[in-house]
Amino acid sequence: MKAIDRERRRVRNSVLLLSALGWIVLLAGSFGATGLSHCPTMGSGSHSASFHALLAMNPVSALATGWALMLIAMMSPTLIAPVLHVYQRSFTQRRLWSICLFVIGYALVWMAAGAVLLTVQLISIALMPHSSWPAVVVGLIALIWQCSPLKQLCLNRGHNHCELAAFGVAADIDALRFGVMHGIWCVGACWALMLFPMLLIQGHMISMVIVTIVMIGERLERPRALSWRLRGTGKLMRIVIAQVRLRLGLRSVPGSKTNAWV
Amino acid sequence: MTTYVRANAWNNGGTFDNSDLLWYAKGVGAMMSRALNDRNSWWFFAAIHGQYLPGTSNAEAQFPGWQAIPPAPRVPTTPLPTQADMNTFWDQCQHQSWFFPPWHRGYLIALEAQIRQAVIGLGGPATWALPYWNYLGPDSQYEIPPAFTQATLPDGTTPNPLFVAARYGPNNNGNIFIPVPPVSLACMSNDLYTGSNAATPRPGFGGPQTGFSHNGNVSGNLESNPHNQVHVDVGGNAPDGTTWGLMSDPGIAALDPVFYLHHSNIDRMWAQWNTDGNINPTLSNWLNGPPATGERAFVMPMPGGTSWVYTPADVDALQQLNYTYDDLSAAVSMLGASSALSVRLQKLGVRSMATESQDSGKDRNSSKDTSTDSELVGAHDGALLVKSSGARANVRLDPGVRSRMSKNLERASVQAEPDRAYLQLENVRGARDAQTLQVFVNGHLAGAVALFGLRRASLKDDHHGGSGLSFELDVTDIIDTLYLENALNLDSLDVKILPNNAVDPAAPISIGRVSVYREQHNK
Repeated sequence: MKAIDRERRRVRNSVLLLSALGWIVLLAGSFGATGLSHCPTMGSGSHSASFHALLAMNPVSALATGWALMLIAMMSPTLIAPVLHVYQRSFTQRRLWSICLFVIGYALVWMAAGAVLLTVQLISIALMPHSSWPAVVVGLIALIWQCSPLKQLCLNRGHNHCELAAFGVAADIDALRFGVMHGIWCVGACWALMLFPMLLIQGHMISMVIVTIVMIGERLERPRALSWRLRGTGKLMRIVIAQVRLRLGLRSVPGSKTNAWV
Repeated sequence: MTTYVRANAWNNGGTFDNSDLLWYAKGVGAMMSRALNDRNSWWFFAAIHGQYLPGTSNAEAQFPGWQAIPPAPRVPTTPLPTQADMNTFWDQCQHQSWFFPPWHRGYLIALEAQIRQAVIGLGGPATWALPYWNYLGPDSQYEIPPAFTQATLPDGTTPNPLFVAARYGPNNNGNIFIPVPPVSLACMSNDLYTGSNAATPRPGFGGPQTGFSHNGNVSGNLESNPHNQVHVDVGGNAPDGTTWGLMSDPGIAALDPVFYLHHSNIDRMWAQWNTDGNINPTLSNWLNGPPATGERAFVMPMPGGTSWVYTPADVDALQQLNYTYDDLSAAVSMLGASSALSVRLQKLGVRSMATESQDSGKDRNSSKDTSTDSELVGAHDGALLVKSSGARANVRLDPGVRSRMSKNLERASVQAEPDRAYLQLENVRGARDAQTLQVFVNGHLAGAVALFGLRRASLKDDHHGGSGLSFELDVTDIIDTLYLENALNLDSLDVKILPNNAVDPAAPISIGRVSVYREQHNK
């Protein structure tokens, strides 16, 4: 077996397994797809009281656990390339440790972002319980952000796989720093997409699946010049269609249908 | 019977006495007379490879923006084609990928068809074919054919379309030649298109497999040397150091008519390699080209307003394309993996193997990827800045891995294939491509790398996302030598990097990390 294939498979399979476990726990466990275990009916009381009531029903520890599970399920598949980078650039005996540091750095950023996003969610529920407006507004913002040059900038920076020191504390710092930087650009690219399902009154899980597919798809695209354009799952869909056709034994794939000029 | 035969540009002294070159010049002239937005123009074809035109997302405010290219030729920057044409045809070139050989083969066929149509229109032969520049051939063929350096055609008045002002050569003085070595035929002894074994260092002759996410990778062995090195040797830097030659930069390279003769030779080497019994990938992801991994298809404009969509499967054999070369004889004596292993074991003192497969020639059955795993052996932590005087790195070795590598060499046998070793220059970034770095390990020459494509790979909002380029040199033989000299038991390796050109302090070259890897093999 080719060494590089083996490395890719090792990393890809581990990461996808982790993601699958995350989804299983989310689907089977008590954690709602929004990170909240209880979405209360709030027909009375002041907004402030409602917010406190929400917090009482959803302790910070539960919110943090739910958020972490969402990250594992949704974000893990987007980390195959950077984790492979850390794997390949580390000594064999340090690989697991370096990957852990990378993940810790990445997760720290997303947990901090989670605190903000969950607060927005709680405030939104407190202010407008059972209202679709927060989701509509954030959905619109997410669409604009999705098309913006700033989104492209974040995606581009996420493709920058920097040099990593190999020895000692320097290696630890670099792995952690790479995780933090990757997390920052990842939050920049995905914050609006992540917030949208959290504000939906129903259909959380299906919207999370769709958002995950979009996030995987946009990372498969190459970095490109900053511009306004619709970014989505174009390449991912083309890959899926092509690979299904190839596995069905069809010789050519869409886009490779050739003409016999020569 | 093949209709089109590509012949050596150095026939008849490489002057306009070689009718292939005279007709090429006239054909290029005809294409240059067409507008930028004409799919059949010289300028449109150059942009198919890559471009920095004002009004596009690749625009550059200064050189190498096309508006700043010094004549000749006088490069037009308007009128731009339709957005649809630009999206379909431009910026297609494939580098650091296993699609490098087939994409360029189709590109040459399309350009050749355009030139041929122009040649026929001018009263030339209907079987005209693109010549090749065999810079690794005998005698003075390492020099650019003289037809490219004449100011005028033989009539003495018509400007020579093959003449390019921004072509400076390896010494930046306008003398165009290819230094041999470091440019070499070493890749021709590979017997794997992708992968590694005793005869083939990774990533293989044709290049690394391009997956679903193309984050940039190392060049294949054919692409690395001679392809990249010839590009920067021909292009070079301007004598005043402010700009560089067209051939040195992928976004302007195909404006120089010698580009296509260089690639004709690269294509010939691929054909030679196949003629010698080596096979191209048979995986559907290669045969179907980039659409199999979600990328756009290879497509070329052809005479008559048609487009040709092709895949690697359509161009992986010369006979199906109705052209050939006048010389496809073996460039080097190919050992094959078994014999290469035999030679190596002999050097390592494993005598029992010495006579087993010696002189057995290439064993095609052994042409398979035998690599099983790869691990980091040592590294120089911290970025290096390459100055005109060079750079030095102390590559510290991990004692445990070094010990495993030594033991592996101790136990080497026919059954226990010894490790291969590679030196990596990781995350190399810079603002100039026209540079070749010679790399030495403990005083032994490990090889040279040309920085073709470095500038764009260092841009944060381009295809490499600012990661720069990484280069890999096979240092297996050096590690074997150190082992035999009982010098492998070192804490570190001394790596010296020497640039062939002065490094402008305003355009520094940085190397993120220098590292050494071992790659295990199992027959």
